[in-house]
Amino acid sequence: MSLAQYALRRILLIIPLLIGITFVSFLIANAIPADPINTNLPPSQLNNEAIVAAFRAEWGLDKPPIEQYFTYLGNLLQGNLGRSIKTRQPVAEDIAKFLPATIELATVATVFGIFIGVGLGIVSAVWRNRPIDFIARAVAVIGVSVPVFVLALLFLSVFHAQLGIAAGPGRLTVTLRDPPTVTGLFTVDSLLAGRPDLFLDAASHLILPGLVLALYIAGLISRVTRSSMLEILSMDYMRTARSKGVRESIVVMKHGLRNAMLPIVTVIGLSYGNLLAGAVLTESIFAWPGIGRYMFRASTSQDFPAIMGVSLLIAFIYVVVNFVVDILYYFLDPRIRLS
Amino acid sequence: MKLLRFLAILLAIAMLATSFASAQEERVLVIGHAESTDSLDPARGYTQTTGVIHRALYETLVTFPDDSAAEILPMLATDWTISDDGLSYTFNLNPAAVFSDGSPVTAEDVVYSVNRLKNIQGSPSFLAAIIADVVADDADTVTFTLSDVSPAFLANLANTAFGITNSEVVTANGGSAAEDAATTDAALDFLNSNSAGSGPYILESWEPQVETVLVRNENYYGDAPYFDRVIITNIPEPATQKVALESGEIDLALDLTSDQIAPLEGNPNITIFRGPGNIVHFLLMNANPDIGGPMADPLVQRAVRMALDYPGYAALWGGVQPGSMMFYGNAYSFAPEQGVQRDLDGARALLAEAGYADGFDITLEYPTFTFQGVNMDTNAQKIQADLAEIGINVTLAPAELQVALESYRTGQEGFGYWFWGPDVLDPIDFLSFLPGGKVADERALWTPDVASEELNAMVAEARIATDPAAREELFTQLQAYTLENSPWAPFIQPDVQTALAADLQGYVWHPQWLLDVALLSRAE
Amino acid sequence: MSSTSSTISSIRVSGSRERIAGLGNILRRNPLLLIGLIVVIAWVLGALAAPLLAPFQPLQQNVAERLQPPGSPNHLWGTDELGRDIYSRVLYGGRITIPASLLVIVFGSVIGSVVGAVAGYLGGFYDELLMRLTELFMAFPTIILAMAVSSALGPSIQNAILALVVVWWPSYARMMRGLVIKAKTNDYVEAAQCLGASRFYLLWKTIVPNCLSPMLVMTTLDVGNAVLTFAGLSFLGLGPEPASPEWGRMVAVGIDYFDQWWMWLYPGAAIAFLVIAFNFIGDGLRDILDPRMR
Repeated sequence: MSLAQYALRRILLIIPLLIGITFVSFLIANAIPADPINTNLPPSQLNNEAIVAAFRAEWGLDKPPIEQYFTYLGNLLQGNLGRSIKTRQPVAEDIAKFLPATIELATVATVFGIFIGVGLGIVSAVWRNRPIDFIARAVAVIGVSVPVFVLALLFLSVFHAQLGIAAGPGRLTVTLRDPPTVTGLFTVDSLLAGRPDLFLDAASHLILPGLVLALYIAGLISRVTRSSMLEILSMDYMRTARSKGVRESIVVMKHGLRNAMLPIVTVIGLSYGNLLAGAVLTESIFAWPGIGRYMFRASTSQDFPAIMGVSLLIAFIYVVVNFVVDILYYFLDPRIRLS
Repeated sequence: MKLLRFLAILLAIAMLATSFASAQEERVLVIGHAESTDSLDPARGYTQTTGVIHRALYETLVTFPDDSAAEILPMLATDWTISDDGLSYTFNLNPAAVFSDGSPVTAEDVVYSVNRLKNIQGSPSFLAAIIADVVADDADTVTFTLSDVSPAFLANLANTAFGITNSEVVTANGGSAAEDAATTDAALDFLNSNSAGSGPYILESWEPQVETVLVRNENYYGDAPYFDRVIITNIPEPATQKVALESGEIDLALDLTSDQIAPLEGNPNITIFRGPGNIVHFLLMNANPDIGGPMADPLVQRAVRMALDYPGYAALWGGVQPGSMMFYGNAYSFAPEQGVQRDLDGARALLAEAGYADGFDITLEYPTFTFQGVNMDTNAQKIQADLAEIGINVTLAPAELQVALESYRTGQEGFGYWFWGPDVLDPIDFLSFLPGGKVADERALWTPDVASEELNAMVAEARIATDPAAREELFTQLQAYTLENSPWAPFIQPDVQTALAADLQGYVWHPQWLLDVALLSRAE
Repeated sequence: MSSTSSTISSIRVSGSRERIAGLGNILRRNPLLLIGLIVVIAWVLGALAAPLLAPFQPLQQNVAERLQPPGSPNHLWGTDELGRDIYSRVLYGGRITIPASLLVIVFGSVIGSVVGAVAGYLGGFYDELLMRLTELFMAFPTIILAMAVSSALGPSIQNAILALVVVWWPSYARMMRGLVIKAKTNDYVEAAQCLGASRFYLLWKTIVPNCLSPMLVMTTLDVGNAVLTFAGLSFLGLGPEPASPEWGRMVAVGIDYFDQWWMWLYPGAAIAFLVIAFNFIGDGLRDILDPRMR
């Protein structure tokens, strides 16, 4: 199967999934029992029928649910996600504003997580069942076990409040003004604007929340790395390589790790997708103006256009990440090409 | 070695950067605050945050002293006269006053702003309900006609909702003051991102839930404020505000709890401001039996008042027990010792008399909200424990503020926990909680129809009485009445506590607008 | 028929006997499994015996003794903002979090397994339909979907459990389907088929039991996750009511009392140790049941 064929097949499978996703998010948003009229108009206007009717028409609330769904789908195809009731901005604009903060955090966390996780995994596999293996595995388990909200509080308390060696909540020291928006990633935008001071500040604010999230990912990655490496290290060609007198470190890194990459890439991809959405707990403690916090506010204030918009976006990201992982498989696993 | 070199380079860059930053020195004030802004349009926004912001952006005809509501002072109006029948008020405007675009503040602008507030039917529009008519006599004179005598009308006008907007600019951006303004006014988006007032600051930007930035109004006709730029940054978690204040990232933390302020006491970089507040936290017990259930019974209502551990709430937050729904400190208000005192046996006896000897189950609705450092969740849990003592089994039902407001505003709440900040700093504000008043009628369904004739008569008299001795007697009787018979259980009036950077000068707390940023400066 | 089933079960039994024989060894070689077992048992006993062990009622307030640090005369782990005893609350908290998480796992795995087994066994159209549905639910990240569901239903323990079950079953469905498809091709299944076993009998009596050990590993590994997610929802205010001594809720309250670290550290540590223990057990079980990992 050629790459194009393979990719096309994957894409065709995605389309019904995307439609299903819009339907589920619509169902959830409509399951919210309260009438958005009461939460979104000042009480003095509730008795004014003209205003109430105008509001219902604006949000399409005067139509039957099925029709609302199709109106929504139609708007969606034109890239219109509706307007958030809470922020009164178009949902697409809100997402554009809050998503970069999350992407920046998730990326940093994933990079940290890969270094820590793959490192622990290799150590664990190479010195299997030795004390260092137990330590590395215990660290990995602790990483996936300590709730991020507890870890976040602990880190803030120790490294920020007590020792004062790390920056606190927020993306930037509040007295500094945001760099002009190009990508929305403060580290990138500050460099583009020629402001190294801003870059350092933004980078320092990424460290604590990045580490908190990284430990969780590292736990996942190191487990997979260990088992994958163990499998590969026991393969014949590894023994052949060793017997040919290749240095052990080269055997492990070049032959072992490379062939063990497949499951590792999968878990990295999936956890990155999850981070984009699941960082809500970390974001709320670190006052990080990201998409998770936006979603949380939307879901507690019955802001249905925002709930739908974000669910859709996140599910979409998940699908895309899956797709990318599949394509990577194509390169990493020759069996797919043959089938 | 490589690492060392890298670090050295980073250090050099950082030093360079800081020297850059100091070259463009700008006086910046940073305020940490849990933002509650609903809109920055003065005719629409009506929260604590909008009070602070509108005070800096807009001016009113009359105002209060910097730190109290003890008297009425001129602001945009230099002086005024009141007709003998008390229905007509004429104001002379300050001819020097100009808007931020340099154009003069005229009587037409006043007429436009007042009509717009009245017709737009926003949250603060009720403040203008008593105004029958407002006309411009000439460019600098404006006359209000009221539909009824209102002893508190001037105090009303001092509210930031009566901030005067530049009618030309607002109209040009879709604004309307016509009777159908509720549906035709389209200036909301404009006023959410720009200002059109005559105050010492102009609005540079508002990013909801992130920050509000004010910059100095270069055309301000009064004394220029000290700070060039004021950033009100949204920090919803008080704990985060505290950390930010300690590290010097913010100058002023508006929402710290007393427990967070206590450990700051010895910190040489931080000053603590404390003073009596005017917010009353209370329980609402719906007077309609269909909605309130057992809570609609006046005997049960009294039992609830007698079950609350008043000193306990004061121990939690600092502050006092309000003697009635009128905040302690207002003219004629009851002192704490005049209020209801805890008496569990008495409360149990009342419940038994009402037919609930074994108690009952009830749900308490309230918003998940920390207001001026007072966490409503904590109080709700204490209410739950207090009422358990007399056999009332309370289930807590917290909800996000906007969601919780829904059943409160529509009168569908049987048993609720809310707080009240006076709309008008005059005893007349207390009438909101008596039949015929906004909160009593709409929220608790305690309407004139179900109230006693005796009470209705007293309320009618209190609404228009102007003689101080007569008012004192009426408001004393009314407060005493509510201790025995009313759907309210006020339980704590917390102190105001603010923590600020020690080099910040001129901080005062104001009962109406909380904070006037133009008064602040930094010691140099 | 009877001969078939006895043959099949004897195959299975001899397999597990070998495994059980290795258990002592495994426990000795895998101290982490032992530690995990001890901690979980301790936590469960602590929760069960809470009324005996706790010096105070979990909801008993005493404003005069609020915010006492650990080691105060009456309060081993200090008190919270309303003067409630933290130690007593943490003990009682286990009575909420542990059963709630187990319920999520039980309902989630049962629903998921049934869906997965049916899809894998029947194949064809049903498989497509059920698996597309499963994928749909998997496309939403756990916490987001749970957040949306529980905010639609209103916050309470029951609704939090329900929300988690909604997001929990798909991964089991996927896993079970894979296992069933694999098991279908085994010799003994074909043998049973030849002997005329009914489709239903085949699925539930021969195929599914053979998929149970990997499912068991997955469930054990998953209890920790369920605890974490339940505590997370509760932390966000979408779980039990405010006064509840649920651990995630206690940590959330503790945020406002950052300096009073005992308010958030003890319940936080209770969650962490329990999840670590469950994960140690899960890892250990995997070692036993999936020898490749050793």
